[in-house]
Amino acid sequence: MHKITQTLLDKFTIDYLRNQVLKNAYGNDDTVIAGLDPRTLLCWYLFFGLIPWFLNDLIVLLGMFVFVAITTKLAKIAPLVLFLFCLGVFCQTGYLFIAALFFGGNLSTLYSLLVMTLKVSVCSLASITVFSGLNPDRLATGLLYFGCPDQLSFSISYAFRILPILMEEFQNILLSYRLRGHSPSKKTWLGKVKYFIYQIKIIILSFYPLMLNTAKRSRTTVEALELKGYRYANENKIVRKKKMASLMFKKDDLIFVLISIVWMILCVIISILF
Amino acid sequence: MKKSMTQSQKLMTFVLSMSLYGLSTLFTELIPSFQIGIVELSVEYFIFIPLILAMLFDPLSAALGAATGELVFSEIMLGQFGGLGELEKFLTLTIGIYVAGRLVKNPKSIKSVAIASILAVIIQQSLGCIVDILKVQFAVEDFEAVAGLPESVFFTEGFACLNDILFSGILFSLLPCMYLVPKLYGKIEPLLGVAPRDENTVVGDGEKMGIKTFVLCAIAFVVAIGGEFMAENGLAIIDWEAAWAGNSTAMIVSGVIAVLVIVLAFLKIKNRKEAAM
Repeated sequence: MHKITQTLLDKFTIDYLRNQVLKNAYGNDDTVIAGLDPRTLLCWYLFFGLIPWFLNDLIVLLGMFVFVAITTKLAKIAPLVLFLFCLGVFCQTGYLFIAALFFGGNLSTLYSLLVMTLKVSVCSLASITVFSGLNPDRLATGLLYFGCPDQLSFSISYAFRILPILMEEFQNILLSYRLRGHSPSKKTWLGKVKYFIYQIKIIILSFYPLMLNTAKRSRTTVEALELKGYRYANENKIVRKKKMASLMFKKDDLIFVLISIVWMILCVIISILF
Repeated sequence: MKKSMTQSQKLMTFVLSMSLYGLSTLFTELIPSFQIGIVELSVEYFIFIPLILAMLFDPLSAALGAATGELVFSEIMLGQFGGLGELEKFLTLTIGIYVAGRLVKNPKSIKSVAIASILAVIIQQSLGCIVDILKVQFAVEDFEAVAGLPESVFFTEGFACLNDILFSGILFSLLPCMYLVPKLYGKIEPLLGVAPRDENTVVGDGEKMGIKTFVLCAIAFVVAIGGEFMAENGLAIIDWEAAWAGNSTAMIVSGVIAVLVIVLAFLKIKNRKEAAM
């Protein structure tokens, strides 16, 4: 308990969060993965995100896992993201395994759970590679190409511009609440719990002024959008074409796809041989 | 006199709900959970934010905004987008918030606010729980045959669901809503240029769209309930067909197709909504 609260207090600063998010979004534009065309990556993801669910072969799954692990490494993912990924996988299957042991499971339970863990990991690592390796603007363009609603790509671009501002504002509100209030002492164990509850209560209360401020801001945003003819531009073909102009297939895309296909074929062959 | 929101005010609600809920998901993602024995005290989400907006403004825009906000802020920006796996959260969250928003006829009545806010969590969590159970069933071959697995899945998922309903439902939905809705009522509406909501306000996208979205919600519900029956009785089906390995794949395929149909339906709503704007 002591350790959890300690790491929480260390990690839970808004500056840290903001840095991680920005680093993740804009920090790795020069990787191999980020240089690929978003359409290639989205199709690639569709394969690696769906196919594992239909496979039950341990060797093929392991091969896929190694491959997506390599691509994740190539994409230079921020440590926070990888940590959250490991935590997620453990929460989903580790907990289940302990519970299964409790209900009389054995080694075959472990095997089934291993297969399931591999499936989950392959899908999540593939998605981390694609959605974290790509710069959000490129991702939005790629999604738009595949006919995703325009609102989604608008949201992505908007979120990236508004988030740093929102975080700063939230931090200011939070600090002013802290200044006015008297935080409980965190010397004893009970005090730590009280301190934790106090923190969460302040976060909830901070949303009241933030809601009012953001309401004003979102009205300004929408009015500015309307002035520029946002809804009209959505349906206009010329605007759409201009947005798509940045998409281009290159030699790297072809190499990436070929490597993926060869790897998959190798995995299947090895699995058949053994 | 009937009052309703214009399309650009709906877009404002969407943007507002998206940015606020998105911001909050960044925090909840990082707050650790406390384990007291078997009871897990985790801050699942600050669902009160979109709920309040759904009660005070247009429910559908607020619900879609919140789901999109979570997707964009905490999943895509933090780089942990689970792809198709996020679909479940998107749909359950949208349905839960939308239904709660529709239930509140008059935000001034604390009783209806309280009931709607707890109901939203119950709907969201139980739908999510069903999907989770189904996910394990599809992922593990011969689910029933593995010793101890079915019981443990039902137990852990069911317990986690109940735990979240009681903990998140009361602390992060019921209490904040009861406190903040009366406080914000009449204050936040002028900022968007909207008249405060009361019995006369037309909620949803007018009469025609309202029925359509309601039917689509109902279809999503039916799929989820069908899933539940499959979870209860379907085990027998799998047992019965165990020798026939091809069929469990067929079931997975049908599951995926069902999910895709729901997605397409929702995308359609969104597109329609946009087209109407």
